[in-house]
Amino acid sequence: MAPNAYSRGRSLVAVLRLSVLTFLADPQWLIPSLIAPVVFGLVAYELFSGAGPFFVLYAILGAGMMSMWGQTLYGSGWATGADRHLGTLEPTLSSPTPYLYVVGGRVIWNTVAGLFGGAIVFAVVAVTYGRPIPLSDPLDFVLMFLFVIVTLASVGVVFAAAYVYTRYAGFIQNVGEFAFYVGTGCMFPVVLLPFWTNPISLVLPPTWALDALRYLAIPGYQGFSWGFWWDIIGAVGTTLVYLVIAGTVFKSVERHVLEVGDLNDW
Amino acid sequence: MSAHPVIHTRDVRRVFESRKGFFFNELVRTEALKGVDLDVDAGEIFGLLGPNGAGKTTFTKIVSTLLLPTSGTVEVLGFDVTKEAHKLRPRIGLVLGGERGLYNRISARENLRYFADLFGVPMERRDKRIEEVLERVDLVEAADRRVEEFSRGMKQKLHLARGILHGPEVLFLDEPTIGLDPKSARETRKLIRSLVADGVTIFLTTHYMFEAEELCQRIAVLSRGRVVAQDSVAGLRKLVGGDRTIEVEAYGFDDGEIQRLRALPGVSRVVSEEYGPRLRLTMRVRTNELELATIRTMLANHPELALRERRTSLEDIYLDLVEEEAS
Amino acid sequence: MNAIFAPRTSLGFMRLDFVLGTVFIIPFTQMVFFAFVAGLSGGAAAVSFVVVGNAVATVTYSSIFSVCQTTDSEKEAGTMEHLLVSPANRFALYFGRGVVPILASLATVTVGLVYAVTIFHVPFNAAESPAIAVSIVLTAVAMVGFGLLLGGVALYLRTSIILGNIFLFIGLLLSGVNFPLSSLPLPLQYLGDVFPLTWGLAAVRASLAGAPLGTLLGLWLNVAVGAVASLALAMLLWKTFERRALATGSIARF
Repeated sequence: MAPNAYSRGRSLVAVLRLSVLTFLADPQWLIPSLIAPVVFGLVAYELFSGAGPFFVLYAILGAGMMSMWGQTLYGSGWATGADRHLGTLEPTLSSPTPYLYVVGGRVIWNTVAGLFGGAIVFAVVAVTYGRPIPLSDPLDFVLMFLFVIVTLASVGVVFAAAYVYTRYAGFIQNVGEFAFYVGTGCMFPVVLLPFWTNPISLVLPPTWALDALRYLAIPGYQGFSWGFWWDIIGAVGTTLVYLVIAGTVFKSVERHVLEVGDLNDW
Repeated sequence: MSAHPVIHTRDVRRVFESRKGFFFNELVRTEALKGVDLDVDAGEIFGLLGPNGAGKTTFTKIVSTLLLPTSGTVEVLGFDVTKEAHKLRPRIGLVLGGERGLYNRISARENLRYFADLFGVPMERRDKRIEEVLERVDLVEAADRRVEEFSRGMKQKLHLARGILHGPEVLFLDEPTIGLDPKSARETRKLIRSLVADGVTIFLTTHYMFEAEELCQRIAVLSRGRVVAQDSVAGLRKLVGGDRTIEVEAYGFDDGEIQRLRALPGVSRVVSEEYGPRLRLTMRVRTNELELATIRTMLANHPELALRERRTSLEDIYLDLVEEEAS
Repeated sequence: MNAIFAPRTSLGFMRLDFVLGTVFIIPFTQMVFFAFVAGLSGGAAAVSFVVVGNAVATVTYSSIFSVCQTTDSEKEAGTMEHLLVSPANRFALYFGRGVVPILASLATVTVGLVYAVTIFHVPFNAAESPAIAVSIVLTAVAMVGFGLLLGGVALYLRTSIILGNIFLFIGLLLSGVNFPLSSLPLPLQYLGDVFPLTWGLAAVRASLAGAPLGTLLGLWLNVAVGAVASLALAMLLWKTFERRALATGSIARF
């Protein structure tokens, strides 16, 4: 019997619970999780402090995204890599739950953790330099912030498939990390990049979501010429495409690893 | 054998390919299974024996949906494992054992709870079921300790508990008693028998011949990716040439003597091996007609002659089959 | 000998994809990112500054990260226990782990600086090559020494890659990679001085700028002192934590 919506939901909750338990069992991970956003925030502030408050806010938003990337995407992928290390990938895949839902549960947990990372960036900059970040509508901002994480998570799910596919996914992700920061324009407008790279930027959901976030947070911001709502549509559209891709990719990746038979390799 | 076996495989082949070298230009192909035909009936304990690297784990992973065969037919409970794994998985259990495969930093109970949720054990029964399986594998007292604090044997028990958690109809056990102390191993064998009494079909691989002999109704011997024999232990005894094994030991035999022993009535096989400074001849004997006294008379010129007779064990059968295949 | 140098676990450095990724791709993407950021915030001078900074900072991957990862891998695979019960010379056992990372670090920084000069047009005078080479070698050795020091702590910790992460980020902030240290509050500047990356980077920047030998010697001395101190502390830590790890059984845990 194929798993129904209830059993899929239950699997998500089970994975979420496992993620919290394993995190609490090894809270050492809290240290880099805290340090990364602090450093990103301070580096962004230092780099842009001479360029005026507009750019400072611009960069801080980007630094927030960078730290959330670390939590949301890296965390989700890494946990799948850990399944390989622990040898738990085999028993997990032998269960009736599609692995996509296992990854989904992890993404939910890492989304929450990523939210904290982003919040830390803002807090650090505000506290260290005594300048609270002005937000015209905090509620809208927080909702948008959450949406940015969802877009990151959609990329994270696709990346997590790579961890099932190959034991070298962590390395691939490390190599791609700064490329992703460049591509999404998290600290500079993507129009500064060579024209031929723009399509690449535009297929990444966080590019759109971050631009929309900036529209909300920075007074007088002029990002992509099409404006806030088209950013939202673009972000939702690309996120949905990523989620559809993730569903398809996971099916074929699961098939592939069963063909190759390297589930236990690490 | 029934007309509707629970596990049915025909001509199962599996080839592993890997690339080696700095430029990954060297393709290495390993044929782990070379056409395996097996049928396992409902409610039986079926043993798969074979030396290291024979393909036992590969085969176990294929029938338990964790690996796809390169070619061949594999059906478990009537489902094609290559196409209907999602339907099959809730109904089978797999115990691969070993040090890995568990979440070490959380408790045994939490491990079981996680997998109970993934396997869809009904919510209202979940906690009670976890308690039941913990009791069955004697881990109740350690249930709330982190798995990393467990001994190898305790981990093995937890693997077993996870395998039976969702009440599978078919249970695949890959060396279930490896790493267990004798008492725990005996309890595990008892557990396996009790599962069969509950209607579970067991497919197990093991290196312990006495275990296979004690537990299994039928046994297949796998060697170099091929099934070299498949029968009950009694059937396998017949296959290798006799219920009786006579061992003759002395400081050397000449070829003529060995030929004469081989020609005795009922003797199907004589294998010689060095045994310290002495030579040991192991004879498989089909009938009861041959008496030890006959052999003693034939070899009376050997002053330090030792003669022993015993029932042919599964280990004897196994070694005969594997050596025959190798030669 | 293989166990001592641990070449496969040191960054998996025998694999072509790993070599390409760590030496050629990571420095490039990191430099591109910060170059764009600096271009937006501070202009051409800032671009040169961050490009050189990040070219050298990527040494963290092949030094600190790889050494920490080696320790983790050995603990995971269960080979660390066998190494520690072996009669192998401790100096060779501990510092042998640094040989491959030093070579990898040299390659990484060199490639990064080649990118800086050829792609980002950082001014370069060929006459300064020997001084640059000395700075790179000293930086690589000092960073690997620092990595070994962390690796010693890692013997006791459950997952040492956490330390690698921490120092990767701290390096970006406190070692003058993306902005001059002088713009940080004074206590953070002092903290920055503790890391070999700070001095190594200063030496590389000075060499590129054609600083007089006297200035360079002073910087080299600082890097060398950092290297020796790191290695000596590393040896001490490895011995201390080896004893503690054996006492607590943390080697067997991952």
